[in-house]
Amino acid sequence: MTYEQLKEKINSISDKLIKVEQTSPKRLYLLCESENAYKVNRFVFEDLKARFVVATGIDSDNCYEIIYHFSYDQLGTFLNVKAFIRDRNNPHIESITPFIPGAEWTEREIHDILGVEFKNHPNMKKLILADNWPDGKHPIKKDYEYKKLK
Amino acid sequence: MRWWKKVALKKSPWVFHVNAGACNNCDIEIVDCITPRFDVERFGVKLVGSPRHADALLVTGVVTEQVTPRLQEVYRQTAKPCVVFAIGACACDRGIFTPGYHVAGPVDKVIREIDPNAIIAYVPGCPPKPEAIISGIVKALKAL
Repeated sequence: MTYEQLKEKINSISDKLIKVEQTSPKRLYLLCESENAYKVNRFVFEDLKARFVVATGIDSDNCYEIIYHFSYDQLGTFLNVKAFIRDRNNPHIESITPFIPGAEWTEREIHDILGVEFKNHPNMKKLILADNWPDGKHPIKKDYEYKKLK
Repeated sequence: MRWWKKVALKKSPWVFHVNAGACNNCDIEIVDCITPRFDVERFGVKLVGSPRHADALLVTGVVTEQVTPRLQEVYRQTAKPCVVFAIGACACDRGIFTPGYHVAGPVDKVIREIDPNAIIAYVPGCPPKPEAIISGIVKALKAL
């Protein structure tokens, strides 16, 4: 498959995307809202047969961003599905673990330190924070108060 | 301390290595100490597998919240009298991790929570050289 064919295939789900952004020759961003993220991820994983690498979470200015990094090995391209979570008070997104088991830990880690709820996650337990860590506190959030240097 | 206890402690200190959240650099330097190049075993310093056999604890790394009760339990199980060595900048005073959300405190604070009279020696450095670790152990045992 050539690059143009790949872009054409991506265009078939353009109604679920906000836009497709090419930041470099080897990187395509698929921007979407959190409600459509599950279907976009499923399309990238099962129809395009891209390989899931990792997911990252960002506490952005007025929303949370979850970026799912997929590697499209045929062309050596990265497909990055960027999902915007606009609801800051109760951030939630559909989990992709049911069809990509490898995403389990990275989603648990994002849940731990960023506080994003992953719906339908099969095993949402604490992963990296201490056992006595209080519920509802998420250290990577911007409003988390760090200890002051003395 | 009874004189014979002091002799037994200083003659051949067996050490137990505790990683309390280190980045592994200090651990590599400790392992370096027992390689043939430095070979601290010729002085009777031996790494042992259980704190119950140890005279000294080599604690590396900033003490995280999760490891605090474990480190205190290891200290409780160590035969007294014992010496605690805080190896590296993080163990001495948290280093760059001072404002971290997962940090419980430097080694001396965590150990003194359960034993205010604990003997604690510090070997600063990031990571300390094997020479510095050997020198720290010698100086601490001389000062007893």
